[in-house]
Amino acid sequence: MKPQSPLLRATVPARRLIRRSRLLQIALVLAIWLLGEGLVRLSGLPLPGGLIGMALLLWLLLSGRLSVFSARRGADWFLADLLLFFVPAALAVVDHREFFGLIGVKILLVILLSTAAVMLVTGLTVELSLRWRQALGRAASSSR
Amino acid sequence: MAALHPLLANPLAHGVFWSAVTIGLYLLAKRVYRRWGYWWLMPMALTPVLVGVVVVALHAGYGDYISGTRWLVLLLGPATVAFAIPIYEHRQLIRAQWPVLLLGMIAGSVTAVASSWALASLLGLNGVLRLSLLPRSISTPFAMEVSGDIGGVPELTAVFVIVTGVVGAVIGDVLLARVPLRSALARGALFGIAAHGAGTARAHQIGATEGAVSGLVMVLVGLMNVLVAPLVMGLLQ
Repeated sequence: MKPQSPLLRATVPARRLIRRSRLLQIALVLAIWLLGEGLVRLSGLPLPGGLIGMALLLWLLLSGRLSVFSARRGADWFLADLLLFFVPAALAVVDHREFFGLIGVKILLVILLSTAAVMLVTGLTVELSLRWRQALGRAASSSR
Repeated sequence: MAALHPLLANPLAHGVFWSAVTIGLYLLAKRVYRRWGYWWLMPMALTPVLVGVVVVALHAGYGDYISGTRWLVLLLGPATVAFAIPIYEHRQLIRAQWPVLLLGMIAGSVTAVASSWALASLLGLNGVLRLSLLPRSISTPFAMEVSGDIGGVPELTAVFVIVTGVVGAVIGDVLLARVPLRSALARGALFGIAAHGAGTARAHQIGATEGAVSGLVMVLVGLMNVLVAPLVMGLLQ
């Protein structure tokens, strides 16, 4: 048990409450996001506020200032239906009628083939270098 | 919006209507996919098509539609924050294997730019359109930044990013069924690098490790491209 400052000890009931309530955890994630957006506005950094918020939450977790149980259920709520948040943006195509012709087919072909190529190259690079590293590790440990 | 019911002139009713259409059709698509399971019925592909049919059938434009549903897209912000949890929970794996991930990210980024350029040229897509296609493998905020830097149109890039996400989430599954990738690291990186948010959402459904790796790779590859793009452009000029 780490010695806790009186200030930290005073937050214990609040922490206990957050661990039990998914709604409060959702509010916590939202608050961290808003903080990230605020920091981006103030500093003028060319980065999305959600990213700053993610770095902030990761720092809180890694430094032990926040327990993962105080945010996990809230985070899961956002991640479970992540796909839904993309749907409205995808509808932008409705206003680009020129894409519903030959040029659209061409663009789709570029996207389809290029995406497949990127996936194959990345997947195979990671998989093969992982196996290679593991083989190296085994060779090093058996020669010892 | 004049063609619709006068009640929908009220901004609140308007928002509730389009949000209900979107969420309702999303839930329907999820059920349909669970029932029949064909890859082309994946909610990521099916939902925009269904919603698109309603938007066009009601003679609403994209501006009409998005003004009522922008809050859903805004939730991508807190969802990005939420990715700190899976990344934190898989920190050991990431710490142990970061050189492998970095290698995959470099290989993937080079492939993305080179294959987009080559395929676009091959099909006779030139100029602004080709430039706008280059950064579509990275997630929206980063991609729009890069697109502007290299002389593309950020709004066009945003549309391509979304299409890439949808296409990637769908073909990622098709590829995984045929290419034997044994490690969750490779499966996650594949989605995170090529299909950003939508791919990461799909990876998260496949497994927690895949989702964490995908989320991390998506964020890092976006950062990497934002930093590298001006340098590459400087070298080319």
